[in-house]
Amino acid sequence: MVTKEKLKDYAAKLMFDMDDEGYDRTLKEFETIEKHMALIGEIDNISEISPMTFPYEIYHASLREDKALECLTNEEVLSNAKDTKANQVKVPKVVG
Amino acid sequence: METIMDLRKSLDDKKVTSEELFKKSNTLAHKYQEEYNSFVTIIDDYKHVNSNSLIDGIPFAIKDNFSTKGILTTASSNILKDYVPVYDATAYKKLIESGGVLVGKTVLDELAMGGTGTTGHTGIVKNPWDKSRQIGGSSAGSASSVALGIVPFSIGSDTGDSIRKPASFGGIVGFKPTYGRISRYGLFAFASSLDHVGCFTRCVRDAAIVTDILKGKDERDMTSLPDENINYVDLLDNDIKGKKLFYIKELTDLNLYKDSGSETIEVLNKFKETIEKLKSIGFIIEEVSFDEKLLKAIYPAYMTISCAEATSNNSNLTGIPFGPRGEGDNINDIMFDARTKGFSELIKRRFILGSYILQRENQERLFKNAQRLRRIIVDKTNELFKTYDAMILPAGGGIAPKFDSEIDRMSPRYLMLENHLVIANFGGFPSITIPSGFVNNMPIAINITGRQFEDGLVLNIANKIEEQLGYKGIIKEEYDV
Repeated sequence: MVTKEKLKDYAAKLMFDMDDEGYDRTLKEFETIEKHMALIGEIDNISEISPMTFPYEIYHASLREDKALECLTNEEVLSNAKDTKANQVKVPKVVG
Repeated sequence: METIMDLRKSLDDKKVTSEELFKKSNTLAHKYQEEYNSFVTIIDDYKHVNSNSLIDGIPFAIKDNFSTKGILTTASSNILKDYVPVYDATAYKKLIESGGVLVGKTVLDELAMGGTGTTGHTGIVKNPWDKSRQIGGSSAGSASSVALGIVPFSIGSDTGDSIRKPASFGGIVGFKPTYGRISRYGLFAFASSLDHVGCFTRCVRDAAIVTDILKGKDERDMTSLPDENINYVDLLDNDIKGKKLFYIKELTDLNLYKDSGSETIEVLNKFKETIEKLKSIGFIIEEVSFDEKLLKAIYPAYMTISCAEATSNNSNLTGIPFGPRGEGDNINDIMFDARTKGFSELIKRRFILGSYILQRENQERLFKNAQRLRRIIVDKTNELFKTYDAMILPAGGGIAPKFDSEIDRMSPRYLMLENHLVIANFGGFPSITIPSGFVNNMPIAINITGRQFEDGLVLNIANKIEEQLGYKGIIKEEYDV
């Protein structure tokens, strides 16, 4: 059973929060979501099927040559960061 | 409305210059912006790299979830509202190197997660055929910019139906080729196992031209397919003799949709008329049954897989290396704050759903079962493709919805007719939507989906159908409806 507390926990695990009304609307939405999910469960013998994670099976992974491709410059990498120092992204101290 | 080939001829005959075409597109982009909101960014400087390709000198637009070096790229989300990429997406790079001229970056549903064109951070996108209606999404601005005649072609992404559905609402062609045919490098990932790059055009031939430019192996996308050195445009010979198509009974049977309203009935009746027309020119078309239970589970399985994959793909949006920096004393609080402020509620709801699906206790029942359902659907479709060359279906169950309209999400229309295009994402099948007529003065469309890797066959069938139906290059201003 999905509850508002659980929804808050799911959101927190993905590192964001919502206002209370947002959680109410989400909880309401879950009534339909649960009904939708039940439609998958109705398929006969579904548990016997192997899950599909890619559109087709004849997939051959190929490794590219071990050579350097064009790389971004340090300046480019940092160009969108709001705070930088000594060629790095600056954040508050992580280790005390 | 002029196609890429029309413009090619005008350019080659020196009746117009590329810069004049760009200025015309730029003027139209500005003219329609307030009314329809196709663009996040309109480019005002003409930039052109000479090439001998068919699109050399021709203006185009691209969805704002493709990375464009030095040009604002927002994915229509506040969390990327100031982001200026430092590299080019492969698809964009290929177009520029082929002489394409960028007119603008188009509005999408936030992070490409939506089908209405109403959730972008810069406002809603309106349908050129009727401003009180949606153009659909998520590639909303890419669809409207072509439907308005601003550009002859545009680029979009399609995870569930995000090119093919808005194309159907806008009276234009929308094509997504086989999964991997076009590199996804530089496309902001939504659900990696379902994401496709594709195009909007005014006719099928143009879709072949654009795909010819975009396709090919990319060292930066390990899922990209090797180029087979085929030019799809050269395969358009209109020879469809003996080609066998099928449509799905449960997606066209009037009895199943008798409570869906007169519009749906009209769409389905027109579809049957189209089928008869196509039989008369030599197509062999048969009805097959697919199992209603399976069809009704497609949309839930799509939501499950796509939301789960999206939660992981979007974990890079922290506001630290890029994006608005959040407030807080430590790095966790900073990220938490940036994500809380940066995502709209709709996106958060999809992420919560993804998080729920991926909880240890739900993975087997929800995530794995959705992936199992995906296999059942793809296997069944592949089995049908052993007998048939392609599947033909109405693109949806109605015309472009009004902004204030609501649909019963448990209805057969919503669960089956409005969401079956996802089948082509599940299996990576090449899939194209082309205009097939009008209902209540709004365009409707049919969709043709074919075997994996046989993009040329799908384009050839669609080209023949387009020729027969006669709705090529329609645009409201030039078309009397």
